Amino acid sequence: MTTEYKKPVPVPSPESLPFWQSCQRHAMEVQRCKQCGQYRWPPSTVCAGCLSMDLEWTPVSGRGKIHTYVVFHQRYNPAFADDLPYTVGIVELEEGPRILTNIIGCPPSDVRCDMPVEVVYEDITPEIALPKFRPRA
Amino acid sequence: MGIQNKYAIVGVGHSRLGSLPGNSRLGLIAEAIKNALDDAGLLPKDVDGILTHNNITYTHHSRVGQLLGINTRFGNTGHSGGATNAKNVAMACMAIEAGLADTVVVAYGETERQTGGGEGREMEFGPEFGYFGAIATHAFGCTRHMHQYGTTHEQLGHIATAFRAAAARNPHAQQRTPITLEDYLNSRWVVWPFHLLDCCQVTDGAAAAIITTAERARTLRQPPIYIMGFSQFQNSRGWFVDDHMTELAAKESADAAYRMAGVGPKDIDTAQIYDCFTYTVLATLEDYGFAKKGEGGPWVATGALELDGELPTNTSGGQLSEGHTEGALQIVEGVRQLRHSYGPDRQVKDAEIALVTGHGGNTVCHSSLILRR
Repeated sequence: MTTEYKKPVPVPSPESLPFWQSCQRHAMEVQRCKQCGQYRWPPSTVCAGCLSMDLEWTPVSGRGKIHTYVVFHQRYNPAFADDLPYTVGIVELEEGPRILTNIIGCPPSDVRCDMPVEVVYEDITPEIALPKFRPRA
Repeated sequence: MGIQNKYAIVGVGHSRLGSLPGNSRLGLIAEAIKNALDDAGLLPKDVDGILTHNNITYTHHSRVGQLLGINTRFGNTGHSGGATNAKNVAMACMAIEAGLADTVVVAYGETERQTGGGEGREMEFGPEFGYFGAIATHAFGCTRHMHQYGTTHEQLGHIATAFRAAAARNPHAQQRTPITLEDYLNSRWVVWPFHLLDCCQVTDGAAAAIITTAERARTLRQPPIYIMGFSQFQNSRGWFVDDHMTELAAKESADAAYRMAGVGPKDIDTAQIYDCFTYTVLATLEDYGFAKKGEGGPWVATGALELDGELPTNTSGGQLSEGHTEGALQIVEGVRQLRHSYGPDRQVKDAEIALVTGHGGNTVCHSSLILRR
């Protein structure tokens, strides 16, 4: 990374830190309740199903499909000016949770709901890699 | 009669206390609610109402709902400083008394030792991906609706042009220049699929309403406009989980409000719908049963929302054209229509019953009022 990264860098919360650490390793993990098996997203301290605090971080496949998406044409933040127009999507992982991300490797006009996608990691700082998604066959 | 001794506290709990670095406000709230529910012998699914107190996080009560994985029939976030928690217990009684909830959680948490008075705005799962703003939040649902049901830009444009035509007749409206469907389609993309003319105004302005008993109302100077029914709902499990992008919290709120009022969609003479965006209006009207889910587009394209249409809607221009006041002007216009305040160019003929809706919290929160002469 020779040029300074000007876009917002995510600030992990106490609950989300292990998620960001898993992305930094390029091996995304999501919480799962050890009592009832329910996946927990967004990250939290208690299971929404059974109230257990016994949540463990579990690897996910990185595959999913696009639930929905939008294309930014307006510049909200100067650091994104060169990316316009760019796609922000909500991807439904195979395991169930839906996460907000960018859809890359595909012109915005070619993006479709239900399109199968897979994760790619973009290292932006030594601590943080952003999980973004590109089309897969 | 009276509300005293009808309601009871059945569980209490709290989190660890003191200096707790590495714990977030919501994390501690989750711990406290877990302990209170365990004390009561209940689970999140037994709760249908949430009242919290928070000055920083937008619609905080719906975030607590997300922690618990529940949608809620009743919820709010109060702001009376240290008086809020006891007030919230009282509000819970009023909500249950009114039939809006059966079991309400009242919760509060802070992390003042860590943050010295202000947990900052969340800085993850959004800005890093270039995701900003309410326009994008609401546009996601529009994309999904177009994909699932074939809704078109032209159909959404009928909403924008109808409300602008109403604003043209309103001397107070912020935007009065009529627009055609072509003007709508040519307006620039802001966040696709939203054009500029899909989006509400940004406004300096305010509105207010006065409520009292029916008995007192009959002694005052204006014809009373009675509140037949009211309700609310939060899709607090999450704004993009389940079918929440295409079926809004409006659906559950509508069902409850119709039940309280003893009316259905066919009885509504005019609708004042919270119109942050055209798509929100379309999905809301479907949720209220004016058109089947997925058929709102073709229906609005028939001119149904115009003054002479099947359901005159946002008859003073709405937030799309009159001005944005978080739905307060929709209450004002509902009342004025039912009072028959207007001449024939603005008055909905024989208006007897009006629907007024509210919407917020990243699409999660909805509120309903049904009013009558």
